[in-house]
Amino acid sequence: MGRVIGIDLGTTNSCVAVMENGQPTVIPNAGGYKTTPSMFAISQDGKRLVGHLAKRQAITNARNTVYASKRLIGRRFDAPEVQKAIDLCPYEIVRGPNDDPRVRIGEKTFTCPELSALILREMKRVAEEHLGEPVRDAVITVPAHFNDTQRQCTKDAGKIAGLEVLRIINEPTAAALAYGFAKKREEKIAVYDLGGGTFDISILELGSGVLEVLATGGNTFLGGEDLDRRLVAHLLERFQEAEGIDLRADAMALQRLKDAAEKAKCDLSTRDVSEINLPFVASDARGPRHLNIEVTRETLEGLVDDIVRQTIKIVESCLHDAGLTREQIDQVVLVGGQTRMPLVQNLVTELFGKRPHKGVNPDEVVAVGAAIQGESLLSEDKNLLLLDVTPLSLGIATFGGHFAKLIERNTTVPVRKGHIFTTTRDNQSAVKIRVLQGESETAAENDLLGEFVLSGIRPARKGEPEVEVSFDIDANGIVSVSARDQATGKEQSIQVNATGTLSEEEIQRIIDENELYEVQLKE
Amino acid sequence: MPQLAPGCDPAQLPLSPAEGYLLSRIDGRTPWSLLREIGGLPPSEVDRCLERWVSEGILVVNGSAAKSTPIPQAAPREAGEESQTTPCPPAEVPRAAAASSGQTDESLEIPVEAQERILEFEKRLKRPYHEILGVAANADVKAVKRAYFELSKEYHPDRYFRRNIGPFAPRLGRIFKRLVEAYELLSDPATRAEVQRNVAEPPPPPAVAATEKAPAEPKKKLPPIHLHAPQLRALAERKAKAKGFFETGMAAFKEGRWREAAASVRLAIAFDPWNEAVKEAFAEVQHKANEERAEQLLKEANANLDLRRVAEALPLFEEALHYRPHDPEVNHTTARLAWLGAEDLKKAKEYAARACELRPEVSAYRRTLGQIYKAAGLIANARRELEAVLRIDPKDAEAKRELRSLPKK
Repeated sequence: MGRVIGIDLGTTNSCVAVMENGQPTVIPNAGGYKTTPSMFAISQDGKRLVGHLAKRQAITNARNTVYASKRLIGRRFDAPEVQKAIDLCPYEIVRGPNDDPRVRIGEKTFTCPELSALILREMKRVAEEHLGEPVRDAVITVPAHFNDTQRQCTKDAGKIAGLEVLRIINEPTAAALAYGFAKKREEKIAVYDLGGGTFDISILELGSGVLEVLATGGNTFLGGEDLDRRLVAHLLERFQEAEGIDLRADAMALQRLKDAAEKAKCDLSTRDVSEINLPFVASDARGPRHLNIEVTRETLEGLVDDIVRQTIKIVESCLHDAGLTREQIDQVVLVGGQTRMPLVQNLVTELFGKRPHKGVNPDEVVAVGAAIQGESLLSEDKNLLLLDVTPLSLGIATFGGHFAKLIERNTTVPVRKGHIFTTTRDNQSAVKIRVLQGESETAAENDLLGEFVLSGIRPARKGEPEVEVSFDIDANGIVSVSARDQATGKEQSIQVNATGTLSEEEIQRIIDENELYEVQLKE
Repeated sequence: MPQLAPGCDPAQLPLSPAEGYLLSRIDGRTPWSLLREIGGLPPSEVDRCLERWVSEGILVVNGSAAKSTPIPQAAPREAGEESQTTPCPPAEVPRAAAASSGQTDESLEIPVEAQERILEFEKRLKRPYHEILGVAANADVKAVKRAYFELSKEYHPDRYFRRNIGPFAPRLGRIFKRLVEAYELLSDPATRAEVQRNVAEPPPPPAVAATEKAPAEPKKKLPPIHLHAPQLRALAERKAKAKGFFETGMAAFKEGRWREAAASVRLAIAFDPWNEAVKEAFAEVQHKANEERAEQLLKEANANLDLRRVAEALPLFEEALHYRPHDPEVNHTTARLAWLGAEDLKKAKEYAARACELRPEVSAYRRTLGQIYKAAGLIANARRELEAVLRIDPKDAEAKRELRSLPKK
């Protein structure tokens, strides 16, 4: 049996780790970098490029370079996130036959699991080169707010990449695992994860080698890129003031400005002033114009203060969900490159009254946690057990279009829960059980996972019959729902299977195609 | 002869004073039969207490012959005292006892000792929650959590990830689900109190019989559902919401805004379907709201009809019927519209028949029904209805004309 790797499949960067001699190790790629850009491109001469190679040519080959495809995976084409991406991305996003977003590069259309698979395959290759042996098993991380479809699509991506995905775990949970590894103390941990596009907060409890998720929260529309946008807007204004030229309509200039702003933002995490220098960014009657603007850390912090404070509000409400006060948190773990920003660190420190944990690298901690979970699943001596949880609430639709949650999100699995329901009409002989997943109180706003009818209920006044509805989630995450008439003992049940946006056949076809492609490469 | 299990500290047990007295009479020399007389409790109570303590491992029984009441568990036991010795909070389980169940399997990728522990643990799943976790009934949240974490390490299905453990996989699932339940209930202050109250009452199954009888089939009946922690909290929230909606609804009702009132009260019921008073109020509100809606629809429908907009009028009449199904006139009008305007004879027939059913004595309704039958080519039915019209009103000229126009038999 080969070794199991942990992969942090990020929106902007990915990272792979493995356990070596009982210690988690982050594996550097051929270029010596410990993270690899989650980018894929087809170059002008038709070559497939992944990672740093793809990133290096991204500006000159923007239409054929795919990045941040994680924002699209497992969503429907009409979802607001996808529509937003269509506006922002230079590559072409098209509607797939399953109403899923797909990316067209030249002649070829790629599904989202396929795009993720290309990154995963690269991470697998990095690990195999380092270990000198084939790798099959992997644990992959996803954001805590990913729903079942997004998780299943990520699993499908693993399959396409030739991986056996042991588990999909939440990124913040993985970070907590990395922190909690080999710790014997009882501690309550807050994981503050501010990435490029999303913000996640999780509160976990660690005790005698067991890790339990207490609460999660976040905002899928809040991240480092919002900070970049603020800075870009600021630079545009200043350039217009100084030169009288509006760069907003100039795509090339905007792209340069965006790259420069991101770099300046990173610079300002360690320095007080950063100079942004873009020669020949525009031209007018006076000849070529250059952009040369100095930005201080103070200016940047002034621009983004409200965004960062929003995250603090979310943390507070998550603490409330966990039933804890801020003083009860023993350790704060930061994840995501954006947490390098001093403003973020200061506000987090201020909130919890203690400095965040310094021992983990925010870019690598998630992959490390995934590797630890993989090892702990397969090894004989279990020194760390993760009590995994349901990402979203499960329940049924009730009279009046409401959603009755039977299993709240973040409930430890496996689990079984039931509740008694009754009829709403006199002599009602059947009830329809509609199984839903989501957080909205309105049934229609949640995802329908399946439905069935329990008939043969004995005639009675409304409200009298008792129908027990039970939800059961087994160790593999498979959900079964049953309804039982207490009076007659009659029972109906259904098994709800997680489905991605691709069918088994489609996945197989993609795998076959890729094999063909691999063979071609070797020739 | 019952006696205290070695290592068991009675001071740690959650006992009532009466139980405490009974326990104090147990000295290893007093036989069961005598305890029934001197235990300070009715004999049946004594039996129940003793049986429970035996099953919990608080007591061990020597020489089963000594007691007058046979205990089901006594017969097959031969392993002697050791096999029945259980440390009082039953977190660990004796091994020999499990082996006797003969369900372990050496070919599985799970140590036989672990199999035995699982089998034993599964038998205790019906015990009160704190016993499942192996903590005192009044244990604090911290102790509950610690116990849950420790047990999770042993019984979480991930412990045997990808191993062939045969029937032990579903067993672990059942055990772990019960652990989660116990932990949730006992770690939430909102539900703790209720659980503890329930524990104070005697446990449902006679302990010895239920737990020691062979192979612990998974419980058929679920634990009391209303106890679930998040649900209890949610319940209180729902009730509060329901109250708010109900009040809003009644305020609207007082001001004659029936539909608003009905919508709010409906929400109140959805949030709190157990409140009978709200349900009763709803019937009245709903009736008023339906009336109001029907009036409104009919007004609109008739306005359309005046303008000869049949296509627009028909659905409005149909909707009005939904709110006022027992109005014969509306049924009749809708029938005629469906027949003459939309040529939907099936629908037309239904409405006309309904009108006739509601007011069998009105000839006009029956005539319409007859005409619809005729249009549908159901001659016999048409004849029957038209003849019925003439029985009600022998002078009905239109009916006569229609009858004459029917093809001869």
